[in-house]
Amino acid sequence: MQQTMQPFDEGFVTALAPELILVVGLFTLMIAPNMGDGKFRLPMTQIRLPYLFGGRRGKLDSDPRLPGLFASFFFVVAFFTALLSFVNGMTTTAIVTEDGTTLLKVDEFSRIFELIFYGALALASIASINRMPATSRNDRSNAGLYNNRRQVDFYILLITCGLGMSVVALAQDLFLLFIGLELASFSTYVLVSFMKESKEGTEAGMKYFIVGSVASGVGLYGLSLLYTWSGSLQFEALHNAFIESGMEPLPLVALSMLLVGFGFKVSAAPFHFAAPDAYAGATSPVAGVLATASKAMGVVGLLRILIIVASPEATDGAAVWLVALGVLAAVTMTWGNLAALGSTNPKRMLAYSSVAHAGYMLAAITAIGALNWEPANITESKNAALAVVTALVFHLVVLVCFKLGAFLVLSLLESEQGGHTLESLGGLAKRDPMLAVTMFIFMMSLAGVPPLSGFVSKLLVVMGIVKAALIESSVNGSISFGDLHWVWWLALLMVINSAISVFYYLRVGLVMFFHEPEEGRQGPLPKGRSVRFAIVACLVMTVFFGVGANVLISLCESAANALIGAW
Amino acid sequence: MAGSGSSDIVHSTAAQYAPYILLLPMLAFPIILYLGKALNGNKMWKDTLKEGGIIALGVMGASLLLSLWLVSDFIGAYGGMEMLSDWTWFTSSMWSAGDVATHEVSFGFGIHIDHITVLLLFVASFLCLLINTFAIGYMNTDPINDNRNHRFYAEFVLFCSGMLGMVLADSFLWLFIFWELMGLCSYLLIGFYYERPSAAYAAKKAFLTTRVGDVFLMVGLAVLWDLFGSLDYAVVFDSYNIEAVAASSSGTLAWALGLMFIGAVGKSAQFPLHVWLPDAMEGPTPVSALIHAATMVNAGLYLVARMFPFFGHEALHGDLADLAFIIAAIGGTTAVMAAAIAFVQHDLKKVLAYSTMSQLAYIFTGLGSALYLANTLHWHKYLADGTVNADYYVNHAIVVVAFGAALFHLFNHAMAKGMLFMASGAVIHEVHHAHHHLHHHEHDDHHGSNNPEELVMLAKHLSENDQTVYDFFKSIDLDDSGDIDMFEFQKALTATKIANLPPWEMDALVKAVDINGDGRLNLPELDLALGRILSEVDHGHHDEFDAQSMENMGGLASKMPITATAMLVGSLSIMGFPLIGGFWSKEGIIANTWRVALDDPRFFYPAMCVLLGAAMTGFYMSRMWLKTFAGSPKGEVAANVHPTNTWIKTPLFILTFFSLGGIVLASMGFTHWAPDIEYGLMSDHGGLWGGFLYEMEHVFANSDPFFFILTYIALFFGAIVGPGLALSLYGGALDEGEEAKAWFGPVLALNAAIKSRYHWDNSAFAQSGFATALSNRLYFDHYYDMAMLKIVAAFSNKAAETDAAVIDGTIKAIERTSQDLSTKLRSLTTGSARDYILMAAVGTLVLVGLIWGVVA
Repeated sequence: MQQTMQPFDEGFVTALAPELILVVGLFTLMIAPNMGDGKFRLPMTQIRLPYLFGGRRGKLDSDPRLPGLFASFFFVVAFFTALLSFVNGMTTTAIVTEDGTTLLKVDEFSRIFELIFYGALALASIASINRMPATSRNDRSNAGLYNNRRQVDFYILLITCGLGMSVVALAQDLFLLFIGLELASFSTYVLVSFMKESKEGTEAGMKYFIVGSVASGVGLYGLSLLYTWSGSLQFEALHNAFIESGMEPLPLVALSMLLVGFGFKVSAAPFHFAAPDAYAGATSPVAGVLATASKAMGVVGLLRILIIVASPEATDGAAVWLVALGVLAAVTMTWGNLAALGSTNPKRMLAYSSVAHAGYMLAAITAIGALNWEPANITESKNAALAVVTALVFHLVVLVCFKLGAFLVLSLLESEQGGHTLESLGGLAKRDPMLAVTMFIFMMSLAGVPPLSGFVSKLLVVMGIVKAALIESSVNGSISFGDLHWVWWLALLMVINSAISVFYYLRVGLVMFFHEPEEGRQGPLPKGRSVRFAIVACLVMTVFFGVGANVLISLCESAANALIGAW
Repeated sequence: MAGSGSSDIVHSTAAQYAPYILLLPMLAFPIILYLGKALNGNKMWKDTLKEGGIIALGVMGASLLLSLWLVSDFIGAYGGMEMLSDWTWFTSSMWSAGDVATHEVSFGFGIHIDHITVLLLFVASFLCLLINTFAIGYMNTDPINDNRNHRFYAEFVLFCSGMLGMVLADSFLWLFIFWELMGLCSYLLIGFYYERPSAAYAAKKAFLTTRVGDVFLMVGLAVLWDLFGSLDYAVVFDSYNIEAVAASSSGTLAWALGLMFIGAVGKSAQFPLHVWLPDAMEGPTPVSALIHAATMVNAGLYLVARMFPFFGHEALHGDLADLAFIIAAIGGTTAVMAAAIAFVQHDLKKVLAYSTMSQLAYIFTGLGSALYLANTLHWHKYLADGTVNADYYVNHAIVVVAFGAALFHLFNHAMAKGMLFMASGAVIHEVHHAHHHLHHHEHDDHHGSNNPEELVMLAKHLSENDQTVYDFFKSIDLDDSGDIDMFEFQKALTATKIANLPPWEMDALVKAVDINGDGRLNLPELDLALGRILSEVDHGHHDEFDAQSMENMGGLASKMPITATAMLVGSLSIMGFPLIGGFWSKEGIIANTWRVALDDPRFFYPAMCVLLGAAMTGFYMSRMWLKTFAGSPKGEVAANVHPTNTWIKTPLFILTFFSLGGIVLASMGFTHWAPDIEYGLMSDHGGLWGGFLYEMEHVFANSDPFFFILTYIALFFGAIVGPGLALSLYGGALDEGEEAKAWFGPVLALNAAIKSRYHWDNSAFAQSGFATALSNRLYFDHYYDMAMLKIVAAFSNKAAETDAAVIDGTIKAIERTSQDLSTKLRSLTTGSARDYILMAAVGTLVLVGLIWGVVA
């Protein structure tokens, strides 16, 4: 089903329900903790009207955990709203302005990314509930409110981040996409440096901000060049313009500049430098969001620009960006893995591993660029493109489970002032066996060990790339090595890189199971019920999406269909 | 892998639940292990839950119920063929290979159900439950198992899930995975008492020996994959696919199947990979019952039976006859060899172990003959050229009956041998208890071996200090040469304060260890010598009294009536005593092997073997029973044995009826329970009574004079000559005043009568070189050890060198390089935002260059 509507028409609320819920949540967060018995005296009278703001706060709304609970609640509700609308059959909704410019489009593709964003943010938000330092919950005065002010700020930033990400997923206009991207980015810049007590956090946030704004600036410049060239930033319009005259210098330079902007978001080498610093400086749940949701957002941007706008079929044979992206992918995955090998800070290690994962995803996108869109191959090519995008989306979904999960485990360690060296994981198997086993499963999944979801995602990506590389030769009937498209080498490189990565993932297991605990770290870990709940949720999904991969694959397929089915 | 389609798929409700048959025990594995870790020492865990035994019992019971449901569903839907229930992990159209048309490959697990599956499924789930019951009575009453029974039950359920999974799986790949899972669990369970060096040694031996077979199996499967492009039964057994493969590469297919058969040889402990089975008796008795009788050894048979569709296919007519002969010949050889070794064993469990080998060999012979018949007779309704087959009815019946006899023997043997092992376990358990009760203070630290004292001390020293032989060797190998000379050895002995010997005594000591005679010791030599000594010392040290030796039993018939009855029925079934379980199938196997021998003279060899084996079986099984239960008690211990507990008795009681009821099962048509839809249960010969009449007539009054005579010859050997000899040599009347159950009367009376009538002296045989050779298991272990030392160890040393220099060198080089690169790359991350922006700027320029450059 397809429908087109203008903002605030009938059905608008249903279509954008998850986002609207977050908006409601945003206002609730602003209002709720301020509620009190404040009264307003009508001027010149003695009449005091209660207006509920300020004054002495009630028992409930002075609880410093309240913002966290509210934010988690709204994220979870938004998540399930999105999930329900997805499962109950989607109505593809395009939201247009009066003059016919398409602004947003709600379809399976945007829905599954909403699920990724909200899922990751909900988990991070739940995990943060007892992670933020707060003063006593019995302090009901305004001073208490000011002391706990940051509690609200943190979750408000999480929600604005979520809103920005959704806009990226929904946008059908490059400008709108960029606004969403910046909304999310600004929230993350602040979130990274949120722990102002620590020097690292502030410094990392600053660096992340500076490098990020440079990348955004370059991207925005590319955007303006595109606008100069085609006069529109609508995907449709740009797409048609690319088919007509995409080989001119102006759009090509613009395209490469846009690649820089999004390359920073997915932390592709060499734009990734600020990422390890940022991950190491931020609190672990925030780092987890950066590594999963924020990365997914970048991938949406890349897919929109590379596949939809500068689409491969715009040129004969292969896409213009094929070589550039291939090089980017190869460099990124190798760089990430090699750098991770030597990292002794587990958060930096995970950061580099997420750089490597970005490389794998770029390789997958490269494979789409290699497809041959001659009429004879069109069905095969479309299938291959579908397979690749499915793999990509699958990878992003399951990344939320085990990468975020690993960060959350580190977050538990962080709450006892540890987690900055690998050795602080030492003896975890003795201190907290279940947690150690969970962490080990996350590591195995990251390394791609069957039957965990990480294995399935890697396999799907590799199979997708190989399938794309095989197209031409399989049409001819027989397969020979020489007929393979060179993107095949990217798949091989990815397998080799996976093999290298096993080393540093397993090292975590080695430290947890065979090293003695560090001095002063004996005894059980802090309780942290909400963090543990989030970790268990990640664990269950890591295993479930591995063993029951088919469920998720079919969802991802429908999403992929929504993105490129229109071809 | 899941099946990608089959012609007749009956969707049954039971089949939907079939995966739970193996999933339940698999899930119980971590649960029991975890609960055991958490709750050991808890009173309720120990007394009520039996340290996990009850949980295991629950899941095995559930598995059995589901299996029974599935089996009854299958029998009800008889005439349909396969029921599949697939769980697809994911599907890919990426690969295609071989001569078979392109198709999608789906990864997942599917259930394949046919006659063979159903039979094995019932055997496995039923016996697993009974043995679990038995284990509760056996393991939990022995204090040395306290606080580690949970490990036993956890490994037990995992093992069961392996067996059930192997039987249910719908592809050779999954079969192989579960096959290996069983191998692992078998290793763990044999080595359950891992602190005993002999148990650890036996576990290693079992694991490595079966691994030899598994390598061949794996290669065979790889070849099969290459031929068919898949290992799914649905693909490889597909008639068109077999035709396609047969047309181009039937020889390769024969090789693939032959390699797979070697895997079966290893798993089912057939000559020449049989050496592990007797040693595997080191595990607790329930393990022996489970692995070495009821389930794991059947895996090899199952694999061979699975190959039937290849042999039975018209397109491969005659191509696989040689392979069928090899299968039968290996079976025949093992049958006689194992039976001969069983003659002289004194250890109750070892007699049963050899008997298992021998009976499995019967089944292999039976399968070999059936496969030969299927491969050489035209037994399909239509010939290859599409014309109607005139000999259809005769040939079809021959093939089905031959195959059915082998499968039925598998069933009978599993039931009887499971029972025999459990009964022997009961005997050992009670003898051990009686001994413990009588002598529980005397601990005699005496050992009667003729090993040099210094070596014994060294072995003890190592085991006390928890030092492995490898570490010890490395520590004394001062010049790092890979072997040690006399002086290094002397230094080591002095250093460990064992002895400071003069050179001439050192010389003697070195000679005692030096197997290859080069005057120096290498690691395998020392390892073997010390391992052997440790196991001997351990036996001596642990308890001089051997509760498993039949020399310490005798006259137990009156003291353990249920056990004695079960053992009697089981022995009779194995011997093929008329009308009892094993009789029907064994006669069938003998008759069918001879039928083939009439056709192909090569088969005279296995045919003679099985005929001779029948007499030998009769002898050693009778000998075992008589030595254990008849005559007067040998020693004080045997006189004070008490009946066993209910947990142990129950399974014995149940299984007794299964063996006794062989005639009912035969009448129901189980003798032709073969993978063919033409024959059904209870239908061919007019119901139960008709079936009974048919079977009786078929066996005792066959219209074919050859088979008529053959039956009576086999009967004469198996039920008269063999047992008769044993009756005249062993046992005798019970002691005065001992009362036995009424049904032992005839046996004991006959025994007493024959024994007093013939006073044969078998000491000449007992002292002959042949008997010595037999009791040394025909020196197989010796030869294998020698071969290991001379060939394998030399090869291993070379391989280790190569490994260290080339492979490790390469890996290390890669590792070093990548670590260096890593340091270099990370040094680019300076921490200064300025540098980051510089890099990003460079990246931007490169991107612009690349994109523009491609176009320009």
